Amino acid sequence: MFESLSDRLAGIFDKLTRRGALSEADVAEAMREVRRALLEADVALDVVKSFTDKVKNRAVGVEVVKSVTPGQMVVKIVHDQLVETLGSDAQPIDLEAPAPVAILMVGLQGSGKTTTTAKIARRLTERQRKKVLMASLDTRRPAAMEQLKVLGEQNGIDTLPIVTGQSAQEIAARALTAARLGGYDVVLLDTAGRVTVDDALMSEAADVKRIAQPHEVLLVADALTGQDAVNTARAFDGQIGITGIVLTRVDGDGRGGAALSMRAVTGKPIKLMGVGEKADALEDFHPQRVADRILGM
Amino acid sequence: FTKRKLDADTLEELEDVLIQADLGVAVASAITDRLSAERYGKDITDDEVKSILVAEVEKVLAPVAVPFALKPDKAPQVVLVVGVNGSGKTTTIGKLASKFTAEGKKVMLAAGDTFRAAAIDQLKVWAGRTNVPIVARDVGSDSAGLAFDALTRAKAEGIDVLMIDTAGRLQNKAELMAELEKVVRVLRKVDPTAPHDVLLVLDATTGQNAVSQVEVFGRTAGVTGLVMTKLDGTARGGILVAIAEKFGLPVHFIGVGEGIDDLEPFAARDFARAIAGLGD
Ligand SMILES: Nc1nc2c(ncn2[C@@H]2O[C@H](COP(=O)(O)OP(=O)(O)OP(=O)(O)O)[C@@H](O)[C@H]2O)c(=O)[nH]1
Ligand SMILES: Nc1nc2c(ncn2[C@@H]2O[C@H](COP(=O)(O)OP(=O)(O)OP(=O)(O)O)[C@@H](O)[C@H]2O)c(=O)[nH]1
Ligand SMILES: [K+]
Ligand SMILES: [Mg+2]
Ligand SMILES: [Mg+2]
Repeated sequence: MFESLSDRLAGIFDKLTRRGALSEADVAEAMREVRRALLEADVALDVVKSFTDKVKNRAVGVEVVKSVTPGQMVVKIVHDQLVETLGSDAQPIDLEAPAPVAILMVGLQGSGKTTTTAKIARRLTERQRKKVLMASLDTRRPAAMEQLKVLGEQNGIDTLPIVTGQSAQEIAARALTAARLGGYDVVLLDTAGRVTVDDALMSEAADVKRIAQPHEVLLVADALTGQDAVNTARAFDGQIGITGIVLTRVDGDGRGGAALSMRAVTGKPIKLMGVGEKADALEDFHPQRVADRILGM
Repeated sequence: FTKRKLDADTLEELEDVLIQADLGVAVASAITDRLSAERYGKDITDDEVKSILVAEVEKVLAPVAVPFALKPDKAPQVVLVVGVNGSGKTTTIGKLASKFTAEGKKVMLAAGDTFRAAAIDQLKVWAGRTNVPIVARDVGSDSAGLAFDALTRAKAEGIDVLMIDTAGRLQNKAELMAELEKVVRVLRKVDPTAPHDVLLVLDATTGQNAVSQVEVFGRTAGVTGLVMTKLDGTARGGILVAIAEKFGLPVHFIGVGEGIDDLEPFAARDFARAIAGLGD
């Protein structure tokens, strides 16, 4: 991911840095090209607009036109703006709360919640020696609970026994009790996928949040998402309240603009990224590194 | 209603609407350019603006709005369902099984996703719901071999339509794409004309990457038609317009929910209206 956006921007900046003096028109022209490159990378239109506006303002403010290496100056401004949009520091999952620490996973259908739940459980077990319980609150998708159970078996993670006929709310309560009684450090709650216009399911997720009092609410989102990223991120954050984002399918060759969009509209950090289907294919998200990669630095 | 001139500002607003529906910059501006060429500077109401926008988009989509054809002379008609992870392949097969059964066809399913956890169980639930037979093997077994078995059985049992589920795979993974190619190759050993349909399932929330999905799955598996899912959410799926222009592949169905009946034939005008923000 990100590489193809990087190629596009590198080309634009190459033209800029090779020139001596830059007119304001040169900067404006470069910004039009940046706009197009970002849109082709699926960054949401509003986010692109505010991004290029900010860059333009900064560029005028520091009098790029008169600086000694104006091209480099513009590149630096874009870089800084990119870091500001993506967030500057990596933010790992926060477990600073009394055990059992609940983590709630939410997102659209098929975004990768169940897979990511198992990946996080495995990582916390292996790297931080945590005792982790996973529970599926997905009462809807065929074989959703079996899917999590199988992932638990494959990775040596306990799952809450399946009891058919319970609501998501009831399962959440049962999972927390089981986690408390079983001496677990962390309880991961996987939920059914939902579209954000489904009021009943959105309020079910809000209910679950009230019951489980999770310390982290992670929005799991597909890196291949287009312009809808902003609607999705806004709705989940607004109606449920998220603490972070996990980007999946970063192993694809999408340009990953959704990352910028979702961070920009929610202000919530991207914490992790999924880079494959296997349970160990999970990486920390380093905004600074991603910004460098996007700009080919 | 107020009339105003179709000027640069209005055209830019329209282009923004299209970009936000995921048509992509190039296609969005090509469409607004065409609008401009026809009407620039003319007085026009807001409603008129929207309806010409709908007409322009519909023009691109109409040729690809091709109904899915059942082919009784090919029985068992083999329908291979492919796509990236989580796009809605398995669910779409379930919905189609219900539809074809209701049309009096003998349907069989093949659980070709032998990789993902509980993928076989998921398809089994759909087979149960639609009361159709399913061919499955153990997790981890070869999916091409499974496809071979399924087609052999379908022939022996006088099945009309055999739908083969496959594991989700990203199109940039050469190894996984080669595996898919093998499924196609092996099916042809049983019936040289199979698969008769290769449906690529696209997720409406996907942005520009969908173009490359169509290209690579097309090259590898010989995609014959498209299905776009998850149009019941806020995503408009406008990338389909770019895809229609570039590939001209038939679009057969849209998915509008998780239920068994949440599948509709693709209708160019309705889709164009939704893109323009006019809803139903
Ligand atoms: N390539 C790749 N595939 C992934 C990644 N994360 C998840 N997947 C795949 O995406 C598909 C959907 O993943 P799930 O975990 O079932 O998604 P979900 O959000 O739980 O889906 P629902 O419960 O139906 O809403 C599966 O095929 C996963 O293997 C990733 O980072 N990379
Ligand atoms: N809202 C909505 N959800 C859908 C639609 N089609 C499928 N889904 C959901 O999307 C999720 C993924 O669907 P699947 O059918 O498992 O997708 P898949 O392509 O088989 O996934 P993998 O086999 O993991 O690659 C499930 O939760 C489905 O219920 C649709 O049209 N609308
Ligand atoms: K998706
Ligand atoms: Mg799930
Ligand atoms: Mg599937």
